[in-house]
Amino acid sequence: MSTIIEVSNLSFSYPTEEGKAAHRVLHDIDLKIEEGEFVAILGHNGCGKSTLAKHFNGILKADRGSVHVLGMDAGDEENLLEIRRNVGMVFQNPDNQIIATVVDEDVAFALENLGIPHDEMARRVDEALELVGLSEYRQRAPHMLSGGQKQRVAIAGILAMRPKCIILDEPTAMLDPKGRKEVMKTILRLNREEHITVVLITHYMDEAVQADRVIVMAEGEMILDDTPREVFQNVGLLHSLSLDVPQTAELMFALRQEDIKVPISVLNVDECVAEIEKLLGGGEND
Amino acid sequence: MLKDITLGQYFPVKSFMHALDPRMKLLLTLLYVVALFLVSDFWGFLVAAFLIGLVASFSKISLKVVFRGLKPLVFIIMFTAFFNVLYGGGEPLFPQIEWLSWIKTDGVKNAAFMIIRIILLILGTSYLTYTTSPVMLTDALERLMRPLKIFRFPVHELAMMMTIALRFIPTLIDETDKIINAQKARGADFETGNIIRRAKALIPILIPLLVSAFHRAEELADAMECRCYHGGAGRTRYKIYSLGWRDWVALGAMVLSFAAIIMLRIY
Repeated sequence: MSTIIEVSNLSFSYPTEEGKAAHRVLHDIDLKIEEGEFVAILGHNGCGKSTLAKHFNGILKADRGSVHVLGMDAGDEENLLEIRRNVGMVFQNPDNQIIATVVDEDVAFALENLGIPHDEMARRVDEALELVGLSEYRQRAPHMLSGGQKQRVAIAGILAMRPKCIILDEPTAMLDPKGRKEVMKTILRLNREEHITVVLITHYMDEAVQADRVIVMAEGEMILDDTPREVFQNVGLLHSLSLDVPQTAELMFALRQEDIKVPISVLNVDECVAEIEKLLGGGEND
Repeated sequence: MLKDITLGQYFPVKSFMHALDPRMKLLLTLLYVVALFLVSDFWGFLVAAFLIGLVASFSKISLKVVFRGLKPLVFIIMFTAFFNVLYGGGEPLFPQIEWLSWIKTDGVKNAAFMIIRIILLILGTSYLTYTTSPVMLTDALERLMRPLKIFRFPVHELAMMMTIALRFIPTLIDETDKIINAQKARGADFETGNIIRRAKALIPILIPLLVSAFHRAEELADAMECRCYHGGAGRTRYKIYSLGWRDWVALGAMVLSFAAIIMLRIY
């Protein structure tokens, strides 16, 4: 397995007006993302998670430290096209990232920019729309689609480039529950079946639980970096960062505070039910 | 309430005219407009009118609909006609009636000429926008203007701006509706008072709209960069237009009418 993104010693602050002290958004971040991983980045508003993500494909440039994507230095202007072709990014508001007035033309936008020949372009547009399950909507106008569908169009627009990695910056924040489910299903499928590396920035715990690895950020620093099972054991710490934990972990945490012996590392409802049955001397139904 | 605005008034139906290559349609319209200004007598207009009739019958959009589009322009047409009559020369049209002596034969003839010319002009260009979607129109414009690149004219940039503007019209209309409702919910009054009061009432709509548009523009720029946008250099196009038999038939009809109009002018 090869390293997709390698961040070392990264610091960043947004430019400010003259005379004001620059507020540093990222402090000395060190991070490696390997090929095929599904990484979720959690954190409160303003913790720097979106800023960090924008360094992954050279939208922002590091003040200090470096970001390497597939071995290429993201600080070098020469590498940017190649980096962006390999690391795609989907944003929160689908309305602000769709460029064309017809779905398939929007999916083709990146390919037009890359100068892909027409026949190859048509093939890749078909493939990308198929992957997000929107083949029958190819001739529609994007503003007539639902939020979840629009966000899938945006994902298809990235997939058409055949990237190695997709970064999604709160892709479900503006969607209704149905749209969220659609988008999450698509993301999971891309990771599990197409082996595309996924970096998902979110503040929904139920989404983070599905990742292989969860990174928790606060005040521009990485606080935790582990499997979801390990991360969500730190219920107290997460609460102090005003983050939620999955409801099952919350329940286990509450039980343990009442001195009831249950394991803390429980992630899904089934595991949770099993533990509680065990606790109650279970097996009545057996 | 704002959704009723249909820019360019495109009617999406399937017809001979709709299936024409947008570049060809643009070219034909240009030829048609030039021809209209070459017309020097009523016979020439007859040829142009015949052409419009042909277009109408091949586009599945009836002349009635198109004539309705003329309504807002009636004032301009009447205005033009009035001044043509006022400054026309020749013999008085009603020699017996003293107070109508300013109406002269040539003036009336010129006015009639002008009215017919304007109406035919609007009908022709309306059929262009009725049968071609705004996106196709921008696309065609970009492709037809490509030679201007030699003179460093930013053809691609212009077309990209138009495409994005068209794409964001429905989004911003939605947004305006939302802001209007939000302001109404807080007691804003847009319907009463004099013109100045009403214009002032628009400020709390325009400012949030502007702020949000800037915000959107910023995000869009990021999203375009993420998709490797780096200007027009080395770009390929997804949509390919090719001229079919329809386009040649249409061009043939146009060239014939054009020739007829020139012949009528010479003889």
